[in-house]
Amino acid sequence: MDSNRSFDTLEVRAGLEAENESFAALVRERLQAEGAYLINLMASPGAGKTGTLCRIIDALKERFSIGVLEADMDADVDSRTVAAHGAAALQLHTGTSCHMDARMTLRALDSFGKLPEVIILENVGNLVCPAEFDVGADLRLMILSVPEGDDKPLKYPLMFKVSDWMLINKIDTAPAFDFDFARCEKNVRALNPGMRIFRISAKTGEGADAFTAALEEEISASMREKREAKNA
Amino acid sequence: MLKVIELKRTVTDSNDRDAALLRGELKERGIFLINLMSAPGSGKTTLLSRTITDLAGEAAIGVMEADIASDVDAARIKALGAESIQVHTDGMCHMDAGMTRAGLEGMEDRPGIVFLENIGNLICPAEFDTGAHKNVMILSVPEGDDKPLKYPLMFTKSDALVITKTDTLPYFDFDIEKAASRAKALNPDIAVFPVSAKTGEGMRAWEDWLISSRGEWNDA
Repeated sequence: MDSNRSFDTLEVRAGLEAENESFAALVRERLQAEGAYLINLMASPGAGKTGTLCRIIDALKERFSIGVLEADMDADVDSRTVAAHGAAALQLHTGTSCHMDARMTLRALDSFGKLPEVIILENVGNLVCPAEFDVGADLRLMILSVPEGDDKPLKYPLMFKVSDWMLINKIDTAPAFDFDFARCEKNVRALNPGMRIFRISAKTGEGADAFTAALEEEISASMREKREAKNA
Repeated sequence: MLKVIELKRTVTDSNDRDAALLRGELKERGIFLINLMSAPGSGKTTLLSRTITDLAGEAAIGVMEADIASDVDAARIKALGAESIQVHTDGMCHMDAGMTRAGLEGMEDRPGIVFLENIGNLICPAEFDTGAHKNVMILSVPEGDDKPLKYPLMFTKSDALVITKTDTLPYFDFDIEKAASRAKALNPDIAVFPVSAKTGEGMRAWEDWLISSRGEWNDA
């Protein structure tokens, strides 16, 4: 690679990052103004984002109004699944883009009209690019599934660094794989000591209740804070 | 926004030129380059390890491991006695032709098969020609048979699709026929190989394809 080209790339990138940051601030303002809560859900393709999403919707829909932004590249398979669980689903087609950024998120929020109380952005299936773009979410939730292997924190460190919570999904398939939970969690904590980790099977429901209960508590606390900030 | 799109096109055009140049040079040197792409954790390194072991004596195989960080994969390949080099993209989500050329410069210049193990990502690597003679992608059973619907470009760009981890089929609702027909709807010429690199099932058909593709390339 010639040095000229990497210089150009860096320059463009810094500009993009600053622009993204200003849109992320607008997303946060909007969420604050309406007292809504945004979750940025990230994972590899096939790690179980949609299955997890359906678990979250089923657990929280009595308590909160829920909206889903489906950012899958080129299909509406997921938004149909989600709508069937009773949440307002909005299908976004990112074309060939490999991540959601804050500007796309802001535009997507506009199409809800009044915001649902809880909005879940199902990001593009990718462990790399989505980690680099702050969309202005309250919670960055990532999924690692057992079949992907316990070495993923070593290979895709940024995603594990920027996430607040992590789900280890598909634990029902553990007998078929050599997945070392302790090693995985140790590698994660080396990157991100504050990461909250839950082991679940979105398919069988094992561990899902503990996770959704904690999530409900987290959302309630955040909404309280937003109300208090607004009234102050 | 318009500026970004323009820039992207410039980058892609210049990459296409670099890739075509590299492909021609490698032909002169007898190096058959295969770009191996998949999602994270679908079994790229395990498939390569098994292939290297099975083809020992039949073909000289080298591996370029592209990772964002870490060298766990290169260490695994080296342990098998194959030549391996680690390339760090430092945050980049794909390899392009210039990076591939730089990686090859660190490897021995001798005829044989070189695998470029691309970054685990079903999206961005599909957009960048690396200069490889064949693009091969992996879809693993746990990822689900709907992936051709969601990440069509990768399936469109690949010459072969290896469906890995078939030994775990009892744990998942994965329909091999469905996955294969969805891939073929996007790309009628794609060759499909269901394998388990763990048990060895199906490996020979994939390896035969590799050897015969190299033979056809050599004779062309």
